[in-house]
Amino acid sequence: MKRIRDIRPAFRLPWVSASRVRREVDDELRFHLDMKVQELIDAGASPAEAENRARAEFGDLEYTRRYLNDTDRARMHHERRAALGDELRQDIRFAFRQLRRSPAFTIIALVTLALGIGANTAIFSVVRGVLLSELPYAEPNRLIRVYSKVERGMTSVSPADFNDWRRQSTSFSALAASDESTVNLTGNGTAERFAQARVSANMFQLLGVRVVLGRAFAPGEDAPDAPRVVILSDGLWRSRFGGDPGVIGKSIRLDDSPTEVIGVAPPEMRYPSSVDLWLTTRFTPKDLSDANRGARWIDVIARLAPAATREQAQSEMNAIARQIELQDPKHNAGYSTRLVPLRDDMVGSVRPALIVLLAAVGFVMLIACANVASLMLGRTAARESELAVRTALGAGRGRLVRQLLTESCCLALAGGMMGLGLAYAGTRLLLSLAPSDIPRLYNVALDAPVLLFTVAMTAVAALFFGSIPALQASAAQAVLHLRAGDRGSRTRPGSARARNALVVTEITLALMLLVGAGLLIRSFSRLREVDPGFAPARVSTFTVTLSPVKYETVEQQRAFSKTLLDAIHRIPDVDSAAVTFGLPLSGTSFQLSYDVEGRPAPPPNAEPRAQVRIVSPGYFATVGIPLVRGRAFSDADRPGGPRALVVSQETVRRYFPGEDPIGKHIAFGWRRDGDRLSGAIVGVVGDVRQHGLSAAVTPHVYAAWDQWPLDEITVVMRSRGDPAVALRDARAAVTSLDRDLPVYDAFTLESMVDRALGQPRFYVLLLTIFAALAVVLAVVGIYGVIAYTVQQRTREIGIRIALGASRERVVGMVVRRGLMLALAGIMLGSAAAYAVSRVLQSLLYGVGARDPITFIAVAALLGVVAVLASWVPARRAARVDPLAAMRAEG
Amino acid sequence: MDLLQGTLDVLILKTLSWGAMHGYAISRWIRQRTDDVLTVEDAALYQALHRLERKGLIESEWGLSENNRRAKYYQLTQTGRSQLRAETSEWRQYAEAVFKVLETA
Repeated sequence: MKRIRDIRPAFRLPWVSASRVRREVDDELRFHLDMKVQELIDAGASPAEAENRARAEFGDLEYTRRYLNDTDRARMHHERRAALGDELRQDIRFAFRQLRRSPAFTIIALVTLALGIGANTAIFSVVRGVLLSELPYAEPNRLIRVYSKVERGMTSVSPADFNDWRRQSTSFSALAASDESTVNLTGNGTAERFAQARVSANMFQLLGVRVVLGRAFAPGEDAPDAPRVVILSDGLWRSRFGGDPGVIGKSIRLDDSPTEVIGVAPPEMRYPSSVDLWLTTRFTPKDLSDANRGARWIDVIARLAPAATREQAQSEMNAIARQIELQDPKHNAGYSTRLVPLRDDMVGSVRPALIVLLAAVGFVMLIACANVASLMLGRTAARESELAVRTALGAGRGRLVRQLLTESCCLALAGGMMGLGLAYAGTRLLLSLAPSDIPRLYNVALDAPVLLFTVAMTAVAALFFGSIPALQASAAQAVLHLRAGDRGSRTRPGSARARNALVVTEITLALMLLVGAGLLIRSFSRLREVDPGFAPARVSTFTVTLSPVKYETVEQQRAFSKTLLDAIHRIPDVDSAAVTFGLPLSGTSFQLSYDVEGRPAPPPNAEPRAQVRIVSPGYFATVGIPLVRGRAFSDADRPGGPRALVVSQETVRRYFPGEDPIGKHIAFGWRRDGDRLSGAIVGVVGDVRQHGLSAAVTPHVYAAWDQWPLDEITVVMRSRGDPAVALRDARAAVTSLDRDLPVYDAFTLESMVDRALGQPRFYVLLLTIFAALAVVLAVVGIYGVIAYTVQQRTREIGIRIALGASRERVVGMVVRRGLMLALAGIMLGSAAAYAVSRVLQSLLYGVGARDPITFIAVAALLGVVAVLASWVPARRAARVDPLAAMRAEG
Repeated sequence: MDLLQGTLDVLILKTLSWGAMHGYAISRWIRQRTDDVLTVEDAALYQALHRLERKGLIESEWGLSENNRRAKYYQLTQTGRSQLRAETSEWRQYAEAVFKVLETA
């Protein structure tokens, strides 16, 4: 008896219901009273008298009844809790013992889980930092970016439109404008070029950003005649001014104008981007006049008024825009507005890619879980006799399930911790690989929400791969397996079906991932083949912007660029050099509309447009843009002479179809000192890519530098040797000409082309890694299932061989089984991929989302891999010794 | 004579040291052993029994009584046994100390 009493509590919880407690207390008291009554009757009392005396002598019966009830219930509760704790400790100890006993299983499961959890956590940390985390401003969900909108897309805003919006709108509590550029900081230390933003005086207030030192801009400080004031970024304040609070009130020289430092912004202030300093916009009456309504160059954000919704604001803005359109159809015909939540505006461009990556890594996790579940199923089947013994000793079904779940949780927990380590390394790797044009990367960290995600994922994983074998085990009629001689080595059909289903699921998911990776790889190789339109090899570039104070006049700017170019030409390594405004692939946009002389005026918004570039003679040769017809610029295109223009092939295709453009006069709307940018077309050159390799080519028109010199001078040089050496010499040349002129944007054109491939390369790399991981996991899955089947069927295979089946047939039989599973997964996966691959469309270039070649190649690859994975256990099956196999218990 | 505070528990433990008993038997046993000097109220006895069970000093099991009825039998646990030993020596010291004082007078 004693022994059973010891064992039972180990497997079963003491559990007595409240009603049973009550019943037992009643029984106990009734027994006492009956005994007492009997005693009194024996002593001669009448039954009624005896009952009364017994009750009277007992004391407060009702209170005692309640007291006993409460005490017993408290005892039950306490014992149950203690037993649970004991059991849990017991389960955990047992789980660890089990895991240690099968190191191969444990290591494979742990590595699988760690990879899955690590990859997911790393990607999620990026997704959270970039996409999900709130902007660090007050009530960030009420911040709106406001665009002007025409048929061909969204554009920046003209100061005049901005001014009208500000005056007329009521849905916003504030609107603010900004534009970004660069500025020379001279004076203390070496001259350096910094990123600046010019913002409306209310910008900081609108965002709810408090300066950490000094003050923000005051109302009116964005007037054209207000004193010049600047707010430093935290980074600039620390690096350039040593974090000295005394800098407030000091004057610094920005583009040679003294400017008073009034404040230091907090590090989280990154609007409109991570600039070094903020100045104020200074719209002149001319900027705000109707004549300049067509010049759209500022970015506008707004804060929704407390009661307003974005929809209300949008409809109000539509009405305002329509009114301006009626007032000034010349500039605003077809222009309305578009309101975009600020965060969406910042990260919208990378959202599809990041979501695809998150989904991909989620698939990897699912495959990992399926794999571990499948491994555990195999183990559960092998452990059926152990489970049966435990059942016989009194373990309930619930207890066994809990035991198996404990094992899963221990595995998941260990896997999760290893995964976290991987995630830490993975996140750092991701950040080092990520191209810098992915927004908000500075926000990526393994912070509390990310850790919470990891914990949640670990828990879900444990439940997922733990519950399948647990359910299987609980369904097992374990007692049957206790019969003598049967060690539970026969697979139950349920368990085999579950494992097959898991493997098919893995292959399905792996195929979908492979399709995704395959499509991106093909797209990437197409992208690499794109001709940027120029020859970047051995060409390097840098830019200087002349101080508006020292080089006030166009003549001074022209003279300096000539001196500079002469100096560059004297560098021994440099074969050819030129200056330009705007490089290909740089994204620099200076798009203007123009009239063609002798043509009737086109309707508004249908005028010919072009990206305008201003280049010196030798530019086309230096950068490697081929001359197609006519002539390039030469020294003959002098300031006073006839104005010459060169157009790109796309300009001809779009605006001069079937005509000879050479000799045609065109004139742009843009003027300088009343002088309209215009001239006669003298040549046609090849197209260059402007906004990235995958974007369509835009029409370009080139003007001659000497005829339209600018203060922003970009030098390009083709060198014989190392471009880095040429750049170093060029820097020295610039400094010798003007000590206060900082060189910036210095790089090789090859690195620029490379940068244009940065995001696609990053995505293709990650997706390929995930797909490879998925395939490896799926292979392990197939291998595991087939190897297990072979082991289970050893006796049957032995009999077959003994009966004369050839070893080839046995191999074929086993491989066929693996192939069937793979084919099921491939078919399901192809169908699923076909259905959803459209989500990749925005990431693809030159290849359709349902590209048949990719689908076929991927399916074939998985098929081959599946065959290989089954072939290894198949060969083992073929080597089975029939006699040994039949002797073995089976 | 009424019981001194805290005496009941130790009396119960001592009673049970002779073997498993149900509540009625314990009550009778105490009465007989003290020659009816100590009266234990039944209500207090049962409250003490359940309290001791909760403390883990005794445990209970349903069994059959002498007249073939279902009765709840209590018996000492290991902890109960050592508790009894400890309290017995404590009582002895206490009683000796009190006697010493009373007899010197």
